Amino acid sequence: MLPAIWPGDWLVVNPRVSAWPRPGAVVVFHEPISDALAIKRVAASPGERVRFADGYLTLADDEAWLTADASEAEAAAAGFGPPIDSTRFGPVALDRLVGRVLFRYGPLRRFGRIAARAVRS
Amino acid sequence: MNIERSILRFLQPRTVVRAHCDLPCGVYDPEQARIEAESCYRIVEKYAANDDTAYRTRAIHIKEERADLVKHHLDVLWHDYFKPEHLEKVPNLHDLFWRANKQVSKVKASTDLADAKQLLALIDEVDAAWKATGGLEKTRMAGRPG
Repeated sequence: MLPAIWPGDWLVVNPRVSAWPRPGAVVVFHEPISDALAIKRVAASPGERVRFADGYLTLADDEAWLTADASEAEAAAAGFGPPIDSTRFGPVALDRLVGRVLFRYGPLRRFGRIAARAVRS
Repeated sequence: MNIERSILRFLQPRTVVRAHCDLPCGVYDPEQARIEAESCYRIVEKYAANDDTAYRTRAIHIKEERADLVKHHLDVLWHDYFKPEHLEKVPNLHDLFWRANKQVSKVKASTDLADAKQLLALIDEVDAAWKATGGLEKTRMAGRPG
């Protein structure tokens, strides 16, 4: 999630969420396929259309489209492989949502809100 | 005990969340699949030219192994190298991999040279798709022979 969130950041997460937050919000969720706890940004809300492959995909009313902030090229430039996000594992159902990231409390010099980022979809 | 340290320990998150990426080596080439498929072809030839039961049993066993490797290499290309945007250049990409993998299954079960030959033709189509999407320039190191 570079550059908004760095490895080792301490984040406060609100687990009392019952719906997908608006696009732009950063969420913690159980990743489809691996089931690992993962963090990504909401790129599209339930019911929205997202660009996928050479066409479009309409999200169901409990699904969101979650993407990494970095593009594949940016991730490669930072020394990582392609981000694993909805472009890889598809839409994410609401029952996989764990919480919404509220702010960062560590390291102290970067205390505060998570930077916004133009959403890719 | 240092009070600062204990406060820090209290504040430290207990759950780790990942924003992971995978780390592929980024090197892809249908030649890997082609070499294993050529092995299958040659094994079928040798199978036909030899009546020894033990030799034939061994040939079939090795052909199974090689065919599995063809499938593996095709799958890596399909899942990891090819991206949605490549479908613009190769609209029949999914169908091509579907047919190529089906053909591998056929080669596994068959001792007909025509089946092995058809598989080579399909891998050559995959090779053309890889080249059409810049695979040679993008995924191989400079100085690749041939």
